[in-house]
Amino acid sequence: MLSRRAWMGGAGAALALGLLPGHSHAAPLAKVKALGTLRVVVYKDNRPWSWEESGKLVGLDVDLAQAIAVKLGVRADVAELVADESADDDLRNGVWKGGLLGFMPGDVMLHVPFDRTFAARNDQVAIVAPYYRESFALAGLGGAVPLEGMPTEWRGRRLAAELDSIPDFYLIGSFGGILTKDVAHYPTGSAAVDAVTGGRADAVIASRAQIEEGLHRAGERASRISLRKGPLPAFTSPGWDIGMAVKENSRTLGDAVEEITTAMAASGEMKALFARYGVTWTPANAAG
Amino acid sequence: MTGSYSRLFAFDARTGEEKWQYDARLPDGIMPCCDVVNRGAAIHGDKIIFATLDARLVALNRITGKVIWNKQIADYKEGYSATAAPLIVKGMVITGNSGGEFGVVGAVEARDVNTGELIWHRPVIEGHMGTLKGKDNGITGKLNATWQGDLWKSGGGATWLGGTYDPETNLLFFGTGNPAPWNSHLRPGDNLYTASTLAIDPETGVIKWHYQTTPHDGWDFDGVNEFIPFDATINGKPMKLGAKADRNGYFFVLDRTNGKFISANKFVMQTTWANGFNKAGKPNVIPEGRPPAPGEGKGKPVFASPSFLGGKNWMPMAYSQDTGLFYIPSNDWGMDIWNEPIAYKKGAAYLGAGFTIKSIAEDHIGALRAMDPKTGKIMWEYKNKAPLWGGVLTTGGNLVFTGTPEGFLKAFDAKTGQELWKFQTGSGVVGSPVTWEQDGEQYVAVMSGWGGAVPLWGGEVAKSFKDINQGGALWVFKLPK
Repeated sequence: MLSRRAWMGGAGAALALGLLPGHSHAAPLAKVKALGTLRVVVYKDNRPWSWEESGKLVGLDVDLAQAIAVKLGVRADVAELVADESADDDLRNGVWKGGLLGFMPGDVMLHVPFDRTFAARNDQVAIVAPYYRESFALAGLGGAVPLEGMPTEWRGRRLAAELDSIPDFYLIGSFGGILTKDVAHYPTGSAAVDAVTGGRADAVIASRAQIEEGLHRAGERASRISLRKGPLPAFTSPGWDIGMAVKENSRTLGDAVEEITTAMAASGEMKALFARYGVTWTPANAAG
Repeated sequence: MTGSYSRLFAFDARTGEEKWQYDARLPDGIMPCCDVVNRGAAIHGDKIIFATLDARLVALNRITGKVIWNKQIADYKEGYSATAAPLIVKGMVITGNSGGEFGVVGAVEARDVNTGELIWHRPVIEGHMGTLKGKDNGITGKLNATWQGDLWKSGGGATWLGGTYDPETNLLFFGTGNPAPWNSHLRPGDNLYTASTLAIDPETGVIKWHYQTTPHDGWDFDGVNEFIPFDATINGKPMKLGAKADRNGYFFVLDRTNGKFISANKFVMQTTWANGFNKAGKPNVIPEGRPPAPGEGKGKPVFASPSFLGGKNWMPMAYSQDTGLFYIPSNDWGMDIWNEPIAYKKGAAYLGAGFTIKSIAEDHIGALRAMDPKTGKIMWEYKNKAPLWGGVLTTGGNLVFTGTPEGFLKAFDAKTGQELWKFQTGSGVVGSPVTWEQDGEQYVAVMSGWGGAVPLWGGEVAKSFKDINQGGALWVFKLPK
C-alpha cells in the first residue's frame, strides 16, 4: 500500500492516485450519492468524540460525520461500534468485513489512527483525511499538586487514569512504582477527568481532548484546574494523528472525504466544530 | 445440544430428528473475545438450562423448548459474557462468568433452579464482597494482600469454563482465569485468586480452600481448567484427590479435602516459564521466561512455551476408573511475544504486545496423553498434526474417544493407546464426545464443526488446519456388542 504521507498535500495528489490503472474508482462515491446515505462508523462510549446523551448520539466525530454528509449532499447514518481488543480488529469489524454478530461495515470509519506502520499492516483499508493531532496531558488542582514538578512529587496525591491506558502504565509503572497506590482507575479517560472536576481526585493524565471537554463541561467548577505546560518526563507517547478509513477499493470516496476535511481545516470550520466542545483543534502532523 | 451463536437444539436420540430449536436473541454490541461458542447445557427435571453470549441464563422446558425463565447474570455492556455449561447441585444452578474486557471480575453464582433467583454470589478476586440471600457474606480473601492500589477492582479471573461438584466432600471446584491487566509488571504480587482452583461451599458460596497454579500470571495461562475428583492410594494411604491439567503445562494432583499440594508434573514437551514445582507447591519460576515490561527490550521477542493457548485449553480431559489414568488432550506449541511500539485501542495509542504462535515439534502440535496421576509418568501418547481442541471420553469398555480438527472421531485402547477406529465427520471436531445406553445398546455421539479460538489466533501453526471446512453436524454411533 502507498504511504499516505507520500500523497498528502491536496486534491491534485489525490486525483493523481485516482488515475492508477487496475482499480474501479468511480463506484463507491457514486454509490453513496445514488443511495443518498453515508454510513459512518464511530466508537461507542468514546467521549468527547462520540457518545450517547439523552438517547442521542453526540460528540466531535458525530458532528464531523454530519458535516461531511451534508457536503456530499447525502444523509449521515452514524453507527456506533463497540471497540474490540485493538484498532486493527475495529477496522475489520467496522470497515472491510463486518462484525461477528452482523454489524454492517460503514462507508467510512472515523477516529482511525493515521500512522504509517499501522496502515501498512491493515491493507484492506485506505486510511485518509488526518483531521486531528491527539496527545496526552496532565491536569490538576493547581494548589494541591505541583503540576510542573517531577512525578515523584505527586506521591500521596489522588491521581486518576483510564485503566490499562498509556497514562496508567506511566503512573503505576514508572519511577519504581512509587505512585502505584495513589492511582485510582476509571473505565475511560473522560471519567478520570470527571473525577478531578468532581473533587474526587487531584490530578489526571488523559488525552488533551478528554481533558479540555471535561473542563469545558464542568465550567465554573473547573476554574482551579489547569494543564501542565512542560512535557512529562520519560513519557513514551509523543501523540498521534487521527484520520478516517474507507475500504481499500473505495478511494474515490476517501479522496472526496479528504477534500472536504482539508477545506474545513482551511476555512476555520474544523476549529469552530471543536470549539463547541471546548476542545482546541490541533491539526494533524501529517496534514501540515 | 448447544451450538454457536447461543443456540440450543433438541434431537431424538433414536432417529436424529430435530424436535425443537431455540435461538437466543443476541443484542447488537456484544463483542465475544473468542468466537461465538457455547460449552453445553444442564438438565434438571423437566428443565434444560444454558448460558448465552449476552451473559444471561435461560431455562427451557426440555420437551417443548418453551422458555421457563431467563435471567441476566451480568451486564454484557461492561464486557461480561457467558459460554460455560451450568452445574446443577442441590436444587441450585451454579454458573461462572466470562469476559475478555478490562474491568471484568470473575465470580461464581448459585440460583434457584426453579425460578432463576440469585441465592449467593462469590467474586473470586480478593477484596470483593460476596452475598448470600441478598446479604453481605464476607469479602473474598484479604484486601490488598496480593494486589496493590485499586487494581483488585478490575482484577480479572473470569470463571469462564464452569466447574465440577464432588458429593463426597460437598465442594464445588471452579477454576479462575488470568489476572488483568495482561502486563504482569503493573500488578506486583500473586494476584489472588486468579489462575487458581477454588473449593466453594455450595450452601453459602464461601471459599473453603484455594490453590494457585500460576502465581502472578504473565503469560495468559489462566487457570480455569477442570478439576476432576478421583481416589487413589499415595504412599500406602488411600486419599481423596483431584487432578487438573493446567494451561501452564503442568498436571496437578491435590488433596481435594483441603487443597494440599501432592504433585505437579509436566504433560507437554516444554515449559519455559518454570522448571518444575517445589514441595510447597510453588513453581520454580524462570525469570527470563517472563514477557518484558512495556518499554523494556523493545522489538526483542521472548519465546514462551506453552503458548497462551495453553498446554491444554478448554477441552476437558477424562479419567478412567479401570486404568487409573487421565487422558489429556494437550498441545505442544510456543509463542514469540514482544512489546508492540505501535499499537492502538479504541483509536488511541496503547502499549500493546505482539505475538505469534509457533510449532515446537516437526511432526505434531496435538498430543493425546495418558497420564498416571500417582507417578506423573506419561504412559502413552497419540500425536496429531493439528492442535487438539475437543474433549475426551472414556468408556467402561476401556475405550478412549476424542476428535481432531482434521475431522476424525477416533477410538483408542485405554491401556495401550493403540488406535482402534476412526471416522471422518466432514468438519473439525471441537466438541466433546458423550456416551449413553438406550434399548440395550451403547451409543457414542459427537458434534462436528470447526471454530473457536484456534482459527482466530493460529499464527504460523494455521498451516496445520487451513483446509478444514466449517460445518455443523451431530454424529451418533452404536458400539458393537
